[in-house]
Amino acid sequence: MTKKKAGMSRRDFLKTSATLSAGAMLGPYIARDAFAASRDRVTIYHSSVADSLHPYNHSSSPIYGNWQHVIEPLVELDYQKQDYVGVLAESWEFQGKRWVFKLKKGIKFHSGSPLTSKDVAFSIDRMKNDKLSLQGPNFKDVSEVQTPDDQTVIFVMKQPNAIFLDRLENRFILSKVAADKYGDKLDQNPIGTGPYKYVSYQRGGNFVFTRNDDYWGGKADIKEVVFRKVTEDAARLAALEAGQADFINNVPVHEVARLQRHPRVRIDQIEGLRMFFLSFNVAHKPFDNKLVRQAVNYSVDAPAIVKNIFDGIGYPINGPVGSSVIGADPKLKRYPYNPGKAKELLAQAGYPNGCDIQLYYSAGRYPNDREVCQVVAAQMVKGGFRVELISQEWALFWGNEGVNGGKLPFYYIGRGSLTDADTLYDQYFRTGTTKWANYSNPDVDKLIEEEQKTPDQKKRIVLLQQAGKILMEDVPFVPLYNLADIYGAARNLVWKKRPDERVVGLDMKIK
Amino acid sequence: MVRLRYLKILVGGWILFLLLVSGLAAPFLAPYNPQEQRLESRLQPPSWMGGQSSSSWLGTDNLGRDILSRIIYGSRISLLVGATTVILAGLIGCFLGAIAGYFGHGTDEVVSKITEIFLAFPFLLLAIALMAFLGQGVINLILALMMSRWVQYCRVVRGEVLSLKERDFVTAAKALGGKDFYVLFKHVVPNTFASVTVIATFAMAIVIIAEASLSFLGLGVPASIPTWGSMLSEGRSYMNRAPWLTIFPGLAIFITVFGINLLGDGLRDILDPKLRREA
Repeated sequence: MTKKKAGMSRRDFLKTSATLSAGAMLGPYIARDAFAASRDRVTIYHSSVADSLHPYNHSSSPIYGNWQHVIEPLVELDYQKQDYVGVLAESWEFQGKRWVFKLKKGIKFHSGSPLTSKDVAFSIDRMKNDKLSLQGPNFKDVSEVQTPDDQTVIFVMKQPNAIFLDRLENRFILSKVAADKYGDKLDQNPIGTGPYKYVSYQRGGNFVFTRNDDYWGGKADIKEVVFRKVTEDAARLAALEAGQADFINNVPVHEVARLQRHPRVRIDQIEGLRMFFLSFNVAHKPFDNKLVRQAVNYSVDAPAIVKNIFDGIGYPINGPVGSSVIGADPKLKRYPYNPGKAKELLAQAGYPNGCDIQLYYSAGRYPNDREVCQVVAAQMVKGGFRVELISQEWALFWGNEGVNGGKLPFYYIGRGSLTDADTLYDQYFRTGTTKWANYSNPDVDKLIEEEQKTPDQKKRIVLLQQAGKILMEDVPFVPLYNLADIYGAARNLVWKKRPDERVVGLDMKIK
Repeated sequence: MVRLRYLKILVGGWILFLLLVSGLAAPFLAPYNPQEQRLESRLQPPSWMGGQSSSSWLGTDNLGRDILSRIIYGSRISLLVGATTVILAGLIGCFLGAIAGYFGHGTDEVVSKITEIFLAFPFLLLAIALMAFLGQGVINLILALMMSRWVQYCRVVRGEVLSLKERDFVTAAKALGGKDFYVLFKHVVPNTFASVTVIATFAMAIVIIAEASLSFLGLGVPASIPTWGSMLSEGRSYMNRAPWLTIFPGLAIFITVFGINLLGDGLRDILDPKLRREA
């Protein structure tokens, strides 16, 4: 046995240092490679992903974005043109009490069967009559869906409805052939006409789609798209920075400046269509009292929230809806921040010693929601309220024990894809559409009914403005602000920015 | 090492004492109202790190609240939850353990099976499940932690009583006509106090961490009460931009638990008869 010298020989030293320096030089390249997004699979961490495989058991913009990979609507809104364009529909015509749609020819479902008017009628029927569907109210004016031939669908209305395209925008069409084949197992086998096919779904896990190579609209660039619901802002961001996710939504505003210098991450901002507000359910005390609702409006300072919580990247709403929404009225102003006035109104309403209320929200759903609600609570304290904050998991918050069942008296919410004031007024403030606010005012009902019958846009806007004026006086809600949607993406992933919170594989390309 | 032993107790005791003072005198010590939001001066670094001069020693959080004040008020919850849980769990655990050990047979069987069931659950998981079931609130938090903490006392006291009850002084007390409960609680149980004290100090440290963990997960007390755990939870999305939001509450938890553990360690050294003889 040779006697080993203590320490390291020269040769060993050279070997080690060569290996180390090669490693040090290559390391960053290997790492950078791992960080770049790949054409084979794009992983999206989103704060809001489908909570079940039921295609109609939701009414939320980001979740429409999940489903539109697989199933498609008749029409969609082109945000640049500010007008509707056909997806499955070739053309359409408004004939008073009838809407007549012609379908595009040659579109096939993933299973191979052709798209026909029967599929449309079946899907609409399910949206309307399935107990779990949350999209039924869109068809409350539809008395019948006729299918005279395979390419023609006729919606027969109880009364003329000029804004029916808006109602049809997110109504996705399933295959009737598949429904007949799978029966009550249909939801485990979603079959549509979309650019992607369904692969797998786990609640709280991954929602996976793979490219439909025979897509009628041209093949997508990305092969596989994976959605994962991550409600924690910091967790999504960490995943993006670590290369685990290629795309995330709701990047916290306070991280934007740092990330703009990040070598592997790109930040995209766009003014969002989501309108944030505090909704009352006026069936609950004390919000049945108009004075209390006005007092809340006087005690919440939305501009201060935008300035401080969102670093000024946001757009406080003056009036019932944002200024770029159809039906906005530049003459209407928001209630100024005036806690003294709020206290006065509360005293008039019979609460001279203040009033105990609960504010519900679903932490992690919207940007900085936890902070927003804490600030709202503190502001309202100055207006004479004592506010208890209650955060609930979204499925509970939005479900039948929550907003949809009319059980929450006061909650923080955002209405996505809001381009026309009619959407908000009809959903929240028209008698009987939903139980979300339980507000009922015959004057508002009449104006909405009339506005929906009016094909002339200018006249329609006047009617919407009249409704808006009444709503600002009655305030069944506290309008707050629109935000910028802030996305983070791997640098080599390019996509067509959308203002509607949807992340769509078809919009993406790898550089 | 007699001196080290006293040093441990001294340091640990002081830390616990300071914590008590800060909890009890919070309204006098805290420079600001812990709930007061000053949005215009949010995310200010500590004053000695170049923040606004003479405002906040430990900086302000994401809503402009003073971090020092929140830490001082947060010590109340830690102490309240820690002490109450330890005492209540101690009472229940000691009582059941004493009966089980002394009477043996059926009583012992029943009590031991119950403790085994509770031991089968990981401590924090049981607490989380209970909190989810009971809902937020200080009393519920204490209940949940107590339910998952009494078992240890029970096991130790049972073991001690098993050996104590065979000793001559117990036989003597019985021979003199002492009733079971009298003998048990007058003569046997007081002899277990040394071990119970040691368990109690360690349990307190564990409970304080558990409270912070539950608050971190949003299952502790409601958001309107400042706690160290919820401060950590709210601050963690600002780790890059404003690390002081998480560093100081983290330090507070660390120092408190360290102090209590030191105290427990020192007490064990002194009270443990084996170690005492060697000294």
